[in-house]
Amino acid sequence: MQTFNPLPDKPAPAQTVGITGWLKNNLFSSPLNSLATIVVAAILIKVLPAMIDWLFISANWSGATQDDCTKDGACWVFVSAWSQQFFYGSYPDEEIWRVNLCLAMLVAIITASLRVKKELREKVFIPLFLLLPFISIAILDGSYLGLVQVDTDYWGGFSLNVLLAAASIIVAFPLGFLWALGRRSHMPLARTISIGFIEFFRGVPVLALFFMGSVMLPLFFPEGTNVDKLLRVWIVLVFFMSGYMAEVYRGGFNAIPAGQYEAADSLGLSYWQKTLLIILPQVIKISMPNILATFVMLFKNTTFLLIIGIFEMLSTTQTALSNSHWLGGHAEEGYLFVALVFWVCCFSMSMMASAIERKLNTDHKN
Amino acid sequence: MKFKFTLAAVIVAGAATSLTVQAGTLEDVKSKDYLSCGVSTGLAGFSQKDEKGNWSGLDVDVCRGVAAAVLGDASKVKYKPLTAKERFTALQSGEIDILSRNTTWTQTRDTSLGLNFAGTIYYDGTGFLVRKKLGVKSATELDGAAACIQAGTSTELAISDYFRDKKMSFKVVTFDTSDQTRSGFESGRCDFLTSDQSQLYALRIGLKDPAGAIVLPEVISKEPLGPVVRQGDDAWFNIVKWVVNASIEGEFQGVTSANAKTLRASGKPGQKRLLGTEGDLGMKLGLSPDWAYNIMTQVGNYAESFERNVGQGSPLKIKRGINAQWNNGGILYSPAMR
Repeated sequence: MQTFNPLPDKPAPAQTVGITGWLKNNLFSSPLNSLATIVVAAILIKVLPAMIDWLFISANWSGATQDDCTKDGACWVFVSAWSQQFFYGSYPDEEIWRVNLCLAMLVAIITASLRVKKELREKVFIPLFLLLPFISIAILDGSYLGLVQVDTDYWGGFSLNVLLAAASIIVAFPLGFLWALGRRSHMPLARTISIGFIEFFRGVPVLALFFMGSVMLPLFFPEGTNVDKLLRVWIVLVFFMSGYMAEVYRGGFNAIPAGQYEAADSLGLSYWQKTLLIILPQVIKISMPNILATFVMLFKNTTFLLIIGIFEMLSTTQTALSNSHWLGGHAEEGYLFVALVFWVCCFSMSMMASAIERKLNTDHKN
Repeated sequence: MKFKFTLAAVIVAGAATSLTVQAGTLEDVKSKDYLSCGVSTGLAGFSQKDEKGNWSGLDVDVCRGVAAAVLGDASKVKYKPLTAKERFTALQSGEIDILSRNTTWTQTRDTSLGLNFAGTIYYDGTGFLVRKKLGVKSATELDGAAACIQAGTSTELAISDYFRDKKMSFKVVTFDTSDQTRSGFESGRCDFLTSDQSQLYALRIGLKDPAGAIVLPEVISKEPLGPVVRQGDDAWFNIVKWVVNASIEGEFQGVTSANAKTLRASGKPGQKRLLGTEGDLGMKLGLSPDWAYNIMTQVGNYAESFERNVGQGSPLKIKRGINAQWNNGGILYSPAMR
């Protein structure tokens, strides 16, 4: 009896597998691609060795003052000497635990709320999250808690970027939802005010808003009342962000089928029950990618504070560069470091964002 | 008629209140027990922050001096970093008690902003930085040269006025920031670099070969820098003015932070008057008799402050030049302290 003996599989053509195959498919698939590959490779060969040499090989790594930078490469001593200013500003040494505590609370609440059960999240973590900006201000300022008071002039560095961005988004999150509801409202007054607010804060550049907050606003206050500059900026950021968030939510509202509203109405739910229990959860789920993108934008916008003299990370770098003991031209090192820190943060936020999206993605795919 | 009268009354009342704003800065400062001082966000030698977050500089020393005179402790100062745009608003709104932020004393500012300049602590002006190789000894030899200038500064006006006046020609190469201006100069895009003289020294240090460039002696515009206070509070204005004068007079009289203690007991009459063991100069300012003694011991006289922040004791190495005492080739002159 004849048995069926299949012939062994032929190997794939040599040109499509292995290194040559990969090269052919990805780098030399067409004449244009080949040309681009060659040009890029030539540039890299020319630039990379000098760059690596400047960045690592002949860089200066240890020391405390500019005089320790004797080699030709980058002077990373500049970054290490100023690292405390870069991260914490002038916050007093013995009180820095308070900044760390606030950052730790932020991270802890975000990571924990992704893992705990739904009931716990709704009852405990969301209220805690909404209260976090105010708790953090109390801790950082200290005077309400009987700690040593630290004026906002001493807050600064990268921790200020992070905390200010977080505090703004947390308040703008619910506020933006209210503006979006207002815009969809059938009450003319609420609708007009909401549209006016949203369009004003979306239509004016954030830099102009910062200038208004720092230069114009103090002139309108009665003599002798000083609203803290950082507080003014925070309010500006919250308004700016809530305008943007409102438009993000509006996209979410528009994506929800009318049947959802009608079903809620036919169950006899009130306006707020309908909004909070049926509509809001779906809006948030749909808008999640945009919300996170807006947050990354806000986080980077906090560096604009340098133009109004608040010592966030970028302006701390400029201050460091103008110190007469560090006048050797360390701009490259300083700005590279700032760019690296921001990139690492924004990239991790994107990764987190896609994790959240996967978690929330329950349907609407088929 | 009646309407007109009411309107006039309102305007007058408004003007009056805006003139008498915050009379009593002295009481204010004493009761809160610190001085709120507006400084820059970072300017080498004038107001700069170090790695530990401490402020130092010539502008900062004015605030420390006022705090020493009024509160007896030079460290009781809270520094408010301000941008150039915010500085006058911050003073007008009462956010700061004194503005010491390398601000040029001009007639327009003095007369139209509701502010008073309390003296000059540094006579600055537009100057020239040239490469040594060029062999130029004076700005008059720069005919036909190319200039590196930072865009949007008053330097541009000053230098074109100067060259037109001398019937010389020059080419302008503008840059956005001072860092770019410096690298433009370094890479040979221009023959000389102009900026305020105090800044030229800072730019020069940033060069790869600082010794290869020199600052020419010419200064072609007036930029007197000094502290500013609100108009309408004469008591406070007097205090800041005489703190500045006391530091200059201290140098003239030979009083330093080291010898103030001995001179207080056994100095010449003028020194004793300054240090408060004779006469009542402090009382007339509403301060304690040892007001100037506190300045001398905690901040030092003008010379000490100058050398420590911008002079030979600092990386900037600026020479005294016109900022020397009047009997020493400069124009610093304190009115009589008696």
